[in-house]
Order: sequence, then structure tokens, then C-alpha cells
Amino acid sequence: MKPPNPEFASQWITLLAAGMLVVQLLMVVQRMLLTNIRLFALQSLMLAGIAVIIAFSHASATHVYWVAGLTLVGKVFVLPWLLSRQVRRIQMEHEIAPLLNASASMLLCGAFTLLGYIVARPFTSLARLGNNTLGVAVTLLLTGFFLMVNRRKALTQVLALLTVENGVMLAAVALTTYGMPLVVELGIFFDLMVAVMVLGLLVYRIRETFSSMDVSKLSQLRG
Amino acid sequence: MTPLVPILVVPAAAGLLCLLLRSQRAMELANVLAFAVTLMLSVLLLPAVLQAPYVVTECNEFFRADALSVWMALLISAVSLGSSLYAGRYFQRDLAARAVTPGRVKEFYVLTPLFSAGMFLVVLANNLGVMWFALEATALSSVLLVAIYNRSTSLEAAWKYVILGSLGLALALFGTVFTYAAAIDQRSAAGLPSFNWSHLMSMAGQLDPRMIKLAFVFVLVGYGTKAGLAPMHNWLPDAHSEAPSPTSAMLSGVSLKVALYALVRFHILTTASLGSSFSQTLLLVFGLGSMCVAAPFILVQSNLKRLLAYSSLEHMGLICAGIGLNSPITIFGALLHMGYHALTKPVLFFAAGNIHQTCHTLQLRRIGPGMARVLPLTALCLGLAGAAAVGLPPFGLFFSEVTVLSGGFASGHTAATVLLLAAILASFCGILYQLTRILPGEPKVARSSDAAPLDGVPAMALMLGALLVFSVWLPAPLLEVMRQAARIIGGAP
Amino acid sequence: MNTALAILLQTLLLLALAPLISGCIKTLKAKLQNRRGPRVWQPYLDLLKFLRKDMVISEHASWVFRVMPHALLLSTLLAGLMMPLVSVSAPLSLFGGVLAFVGLLALGRFFLALGGLDPASAFGGMGSSREMAIAAIAEPALMLAIFTVAIKAGSTNLSQMLLAAQAPTWQLLNPAHVLAFAALFIVLLAETGRIPVDNPATHLELTMIHEAMILEYSGRYLALIEWSASVKQLVLMALLVNLFFPLGIATDLNAGAVGLSLLWFVAKLLVLSALVVLVETTNAKLRLFRVPDLLSAAFILATLALLSTFLFQ
Repeated sequence: MKPPNPEFASQWITLLAAGMLVVQLLMVVQRMLLTNIRLFALQSLMLAGIAVIIAFSHASATHVYWVAGLTLVGKVFVLPWLLSRQVRRIQMEHEIAPLLNASASMLLCGAFTLLGYIVARPFTSLARLGNNTLGVAVTLLLTGFFLMVNRRKALTQVLALLTVENGVMLAAVALTTYGMPLVVELGIFFDLMVAVMVLGLLVYRIRETFSSMDVSKLSQLRG
Repeated sequence: MTPLVPILVVPAAAGLLCLLLRSQRAMELANVLAFAVTLMLSVLLLPAVLQAPYVVTECNEFFRADALSVWMALLISAVSLGSSLYAGRYFQRDLAARAVTPGRVKEFYVLTPLFSAGMFLVVLANNLGVMWFALEATALSSVLLVAIYNRSTSLEAAWKYVILGSLGLALALFGTVFTYAAAIDQRSAAGLPSFNWSHLMSMAGQLDPRMIKLAFVFVLVGYGTKAGLAPMHNWLPDAHSEAPSPTSAMLSGVSLKVALYALVRFHILTTASLGSSFSQTLLLVFGLGSMCVAAPFILVQSNLKRLLAYSSLEHMGLICAGIGLNSPITIFGALLHMGYHALTKPVLFFAAGNIHQTCHTLQLRRIGPGMARVLPLTALCLGLAGAAAVGLPPFGLFFSEVTVLSGGFASGHTAATVLLLAAILASFCGILYQLTRILPGEPKVARSSDAAPLDGVPAMALMLGALLVFSVWLPAPLLEVMRQAARIIGGAP
Repeated sequence: MNTALAILLQTLLLLALAPLISGCIKTLKAKLQNRRGPRVWQPYLDLLKFLRKDMVISEHASWVFRVMPHALLLSTLLAGLMMPLVSVSAPLSLFGGVLAFVGLLALGRFFLALGGLDPASAFGGMGSSREMAIAAIAEPALMLAIFTVAIKAGSTNLSQMLLAAQAPTWQLLNPAHVLAFAALFIVLLAETGRIPVDNPATHLELTMIHEAMILEYSGRYLALIEWSASVKQLVLMALLVNLFFPLGIATDLNAGAVGLSLLWFVAKLLVLSALVVLVETTNAKLRLFRVPDLLSAAFILATLALLSTFLFQ
């Protein structure tokens, strides 16, 4: 198939990136753990979509299809399944009251979006497909950090970490037209899988020891 | 066939082998053998690196060892060997005291070689992405090692470690991606550029400076978190104090340095590309910051292993600042310091482990005075290693610190060097004070050491012995390797 | 076609179409809930019924009480006249364009709130304060979302904005437009008092917002107020469909084009009604202190939409 109109592809990529941003903001205010996991799956789906469009537009970038496939299988199905199973095993499906309430969190994330745009501004003039999504990638990074700090459930912190990884992957896809070498992508992907398993194991042990996933209870070590 | 691939394969194979073994003795033996072999292989690499072309590569430039890599590999194998020698009796006593289960001990013997293999991969990989992957692998294996005891404090430490570490690595990945993006701008018609460090160095002048600057900032914060630089160091005292002593020794002894190695690779690339002192200044600032943050915590510390962890923080700050001062003398001093510290810190942790198992506490005021009576040989090693760690002659750390300081004054960074000196003095007072609280005198509480007096001493003695020997006599190949490595960091190809 | 005729025709269209849309929404909702529901033209019959009935007015009511229904209907109709419904050029074009549009709707709401307070009944005051609290956050969101479209079009004149939106189809993929549409949709739900903000069919006074303000009204005044509410709903829905999906709208004013455009318009309104009904049926009404959270979400979406015009170039 001949590659589609680059303008069209760019529009779709921009739309999907904006979608990822909106999903991230929804995660910041959403309190049900299972819904958050599904939102993460949705965000990863959009990321896979962006990868597919980029692979489609460049005839020489067939390994990006592999990246899209990995993201689809791993981040959209396997990881959310693992995490949901963990949530159900622990039976704690609600988040506790976060540090900042929903409205203030939203406003702060709006400020982060602006900051992300300012950081990415000098690099958006490069003529590359999807280069205008760098701002979204930096925003995902910042809002991921905020999510980690704002919430007190251990599993939500794991999710926040995963969204930060999504942001990094988006930056990789946005900045490096052909994506990174396949061996690196594979390595990163497997690292992520193992990381989630290790984190899941730790969460389980924390739950057993502290009878709660509340991370603010982990405060004995000081000085 | 160069020793590169065997260095990676041997520990990994030993770790996987321990999955199948059942007796603790067998696992211990497997570990010790594996690390002894890797030490020999690292020593074998020395002559290859000291003659032209000064680089050993394998698998089409996928693995690459230059002088800096070989230096790091030597340190990793030395510390791993020491740890595995000490771990045997340590875990036997823990098992007897029911502090761990046999399953967890097996976990230790499986994960530690994998941890080592990860560290070797970091220093031997040429591909920046593989370097990142290897660091993440070391992070994950060490997290499980930190969480071996099922205490609530261990879990807390492991959680903080994994979250902060993963965050840092995500940032570092971001920076790595940026670096690759800067390279991809300059791709030749022959297709994708390689992600290899050596290749990036060869085209350093053509990389987009803005991207490289931003990339370095992200990498500094990211790998700096793993290296324990302030203000991203919050996980360090917790993780290093809650882990079992052999793991603490490896964490403090080499894993921090391996993360710093990754940072330094980016530093070399950034300096070559920008030509300015951007990255050096940042390294200096973060190094000094770490030392200044560590000093007060050392002075008022109440937990023995946390004291040692903060001391590691301070030493890492010194190494980082030494590299940041960027004169050939200070860089050489920093590398020397890396080596001596890697030999000293494990001994301190081993001694602390012995004390912990005897007194069942790490609180300094509860350990009380008189350790010299209760555990004479351990106390001797602790005292000697403590003297080494604060920089007393004739131990090598004195020489390396003097080298860094004199280099700093000579190159004109007077203010920074004075600050360095002040921090060193603060930690000197702090550590000596704390050691005098527990070593001399009459034991307040009657303690019987239910351990054999020679527990763990061979490992400690070996490392102390090596330290003393290398303090007064550095064999020519080692000296040459360090000079080469200093030249690489300083910007010469 | 001169302006007076256009104004008259558009007014008639607004008044005639509004109850029909209300009826469609009610029937559709019933069908989705597996009920038969009222007839689609039931609102017309209800209006006729109210117009014929006597009014009972509280003795504490003042002139505000009597003026309010008229002021509400007038301001809503004026706002509707500024909106291009079936042809690109709207009959009325006040200074400020879309700002005047929002201002007129706000004026109507102001009078509605006063009308709730005037007879000094407890529920009326409660409804008024709730309405104002919701409006305080909904209106900035509305304005930001509209500004996004205005910036893209380079003008605040609604007709101009419509013309500018008639670009090639994949303008639909523009994230600024998508986000603005999402924000405006949430504001639509808030302004027309639909679940999840307010239940239009509730008879529990403590859960009412809009109905609480008009509890004291009866007879002819009630007819005018219900009519105004339907017209406001129609006008806001027209804003959503015409600004974002200007398909089939007539560019010249001959009868055939306008007729076709009317059919397209009704079809688009029905699709939007179906969407509103879907959202109403699948969600529960939010507790009152959660409504600001939803509206802040709309506000942030609108802000993002505005940022997107610069963010993605």
C-alpha cells in the first residue's frame, strides 16, 4: 500500500497524543483502582496506535510494527490483567483521599501541560512526523510524578510509574522517526514486565505485613 | 575469544544453577567459584586493553571494553567475591537464629550473581539502550535482595528503593532517547545510526547541542538517583541499612559506582559534543551537594549501617566532584578513590553484620561500648576499615583524597575544594566519634558471642589485606589502566 | 430576504422545534429504559395545558416574579436569533458575537435565579444558589471552549466561526476541536440540567436545581418558563452541532437549500439527543458536592483545547 498523506497521519498522531493526555488527566482524578488500570490500558492502546501509524508512514520502519505489537500485547492486555488480578487478590479497590483534591489536581496538571509545552517548544521545529507530541510526552512525565506523590495506594504508584514509561515511549516514537533499535525496545519491554512483577510481589508482601496498601504507613525509617 | 562474553555468562549461569541446587553449601560454593573466575577473567582483560587499539570488542561492537570498563569490572568482581565469601557464615547464623527462611537464602544465592551479571553488562555494553536495560536489571534484582528479611522496615526500604529507582531510570531512559534522537538527525544514507556509545562519540561534534544538553540533565537526574547523588538519595540510607550485609556491601561498594559509570559515559559524550564545561559544572555541584548533605547526617547518626550508608553517599559525592573538577589529577584521584572505597566499604558492612548478629540491634547506643572485648577480630577489622574510610594514612583513601584536593587547588577551584575539605573533615569527626562509642571500653551489657570468633573474618581480612597492599604498592598495569581511564574521562579518545 | 422576515422565521422555528426536541429526548430515554414513554409531541400538549390554566401567585411575590418568565424567554430567543440554525448567516448579529450570546444566556439565568428567590420560599432560594454555583464553573468552561473555536476562526462572530469550520473533513481530527467538543458537551449537560448534574424528572425537592427555582410558578408563566428551557436546550445543542459539524448547512437563502438544511439540522440534533440520552441512562446523578469536580474537568478540557491550538502546530 502506498503510504498515506503525511498530513493525515500527522493529524491522527496528534489526536491520539491528545487522547493520551486526556486519559492521563482522568487517571489523576479517578479513584477506583480498576478503572485506573483500564484507563492505563486505553492510554497504551493509543500509544500502540501512534506506533502503527508511524510504521505505516515510513516504508523502511517495519520494526516499529513489532514495537506496536509488543505494546499492544504487553501494556494493553498482559500488564492490566496482572495488575487487576493483584487488586482483586488484595481486595482493596478504592483509593484513599489523595493529598490534593480533584479540582486542585486538575489545575496543577493544566499547569504541567503548559510547562511540558514550554520545555518541548525548542524541539518542535524539527521536521519529523509526530514531533509535535514531545510536549505531551513531557507532560505525561510530569503528571506521572504528580500522580505518584499525590496518591497513597501502592498500586496507584505502580500505575503512575507505568504512565511515566508511556510518556518516555511516546517521546521515543515522537523524536526518533524509526523508533529505537529493536533490541533496545525488546529489552525495555521485558524490563517493564519484570519490574511490574517485582512491584506486584512487593505490594503483596506489604499488604501482608502492614494489612494495608497505604504507602503513608511506610514511614518508620527516618534520619 | 575475548573474556568479555564469559565474564557475563559465568555469573548468570551460576545464578541460574543455584535455582536447581538444594544445599546451601553447594550454592555458596557456586557463587564463590563464579566470582573467582570472573576476577581472573577481568585481570586477563588488563593486558588486552593496555596495548593498541586500547579497546576490546566482541560481537560486532556490541560489547566493548576500554580501560574504564576494565577498571570497573575489576572492582565489581573483587567486591562480589568478598561478599560471597562472607555470605556463607552470615546466612548460616541467620538461619540458626530464624531470621530468614531457607527459601530466602536460596533467593540470595540466585539473585546475587544475576545482580553482578547485570553490573558487568552495564560496564561492558556499548549500546546505550542495553546499558539502561542492564541497570534496570540490577535495580530489580537488588530490590528483591533488599526485601529478603520480611521486616516492615525492610519492605519500606525496598519499596522506596524500587519506586525512586524506577522513576530515576525512566528519566534516564528519556535522556537516552533524546541522545539517540540527536544522533538520528545526522543519519547517513546508510540507514539507522547505531546506538553505540563509540559510534556516538565519533560523531559527537555533529549532535544538536540543545538536545544533548536536555538529554544530559535528564540522565543526570535519572542515573544520579541510582548513584545516590543528593537530592535524589532518600532511598540510599534505608536500602543499604535494611539489606543483608553482603548485599549492602555490594550495593555500597559497587552498584553506586556502576550507576555513576553510566552517568560518566554520558558526561564524556556531552563534553565532546558541547565542548563547554556544562556537564562538569553540574557534576561538581551535585557531588558537592551530596557531600554537604551527608555530613550532618553522619554527625548525628544513631544506626550503625545508616552511618555507613551516609558515608557511602559522601564518598560518592567526592568521586563525582573529582570528575566534575575535570583536571587530569582530580579524575585520576577519583578513580583511585573508587577502587579503595570499593575495598573498604564492604569490610565495614561485614563487621556491622557481625555486630548485628551478636547484639541483635544496630542502634549505636544499644550496641554500647566494648565491642573490642566481645568480638575482638571483628572490632579490629572495623577499626582498621573505619580508619581507612575516614582517610587516615597509610590507607589508600588518604592518598586518593589528597590527590583530588591538590588537583582541585591546582586547577583553581579553590572554593569548591575548600568545601570538599570541610565535608571530608566533618565525616572524619563523625565516623571516628561513632566508632569510639562502640569499640573501646567495657561492655555494658554482658554479651556472649555465640558465634565462632573467626566468623566472616577471612573475607574481611582478605579485603583489608588487599587494601593495605594496594595502598602502598600499585602494580604498573593497574596504574596504567587508571591513567588510561582518566584520559578517557578527560576527553582524550 | 430582509432581516425582519428572517428574525420572524427563526423565532418561529425556535419556538416550534424546541418542544419537539424535548419530547424526542424524553421518549428516547424511555425506550432505552425499556418503557413505552410519552408521545413525542407531548410537550406541545403540556404547554397548551399550562397556557390555559389559572395562575396562583404567592402574596410575597413582587414585580420580579411577573417579569421573570418574559425576560427569560426574550433573552433566550435573542440568543437563539444570533445562532445560525439552517443558514450560515444568523438573522441577528449583535456586537461581540459569541460573547453577547453567552451574555444573553447568562442574563436569562440571572432572572431565573431572581425568580426563584423572589417568593421567599426555601426551596426556591436553594435552587437559585445551586444554579449559580454550577454556573460559576460552567460558564468559564463554555467561554474557553468557544474561544478555542473563535481563535481558529479568527472572529467571535458565530456566522464567521461556522464558515471557518467548513474545512476539509479531517479538521475533525484536530485535538483542539475534539477537546472543545468534549468540554462543551459537559457544559451542555450542566446548563440543560441533565443527569449527571441534575435530574429533570425528579420530584424530590432536595435533589432539584432547576425545578426548585420554578416550583412557585404555575399556569401561563410556567408555560413560558418551560418553553424557554426547551429553547435554551435547542440553542445550545445547535451550537454544538453547527460549530463542530457544519454539514449540510445552507450557504444561500433559496427555499430548497433551506429546506434541505432544516432536514440535516434536525437529523444532527437527533444524533446529539441520542448521545445525551446515552450519557443520561448510563450514569447516575452526581452528589451535589461532586458536580464542581465534573465541571472542573470540563474547564480543564477547555483549557487543554485552548492550549492545543498552540501546543500542536
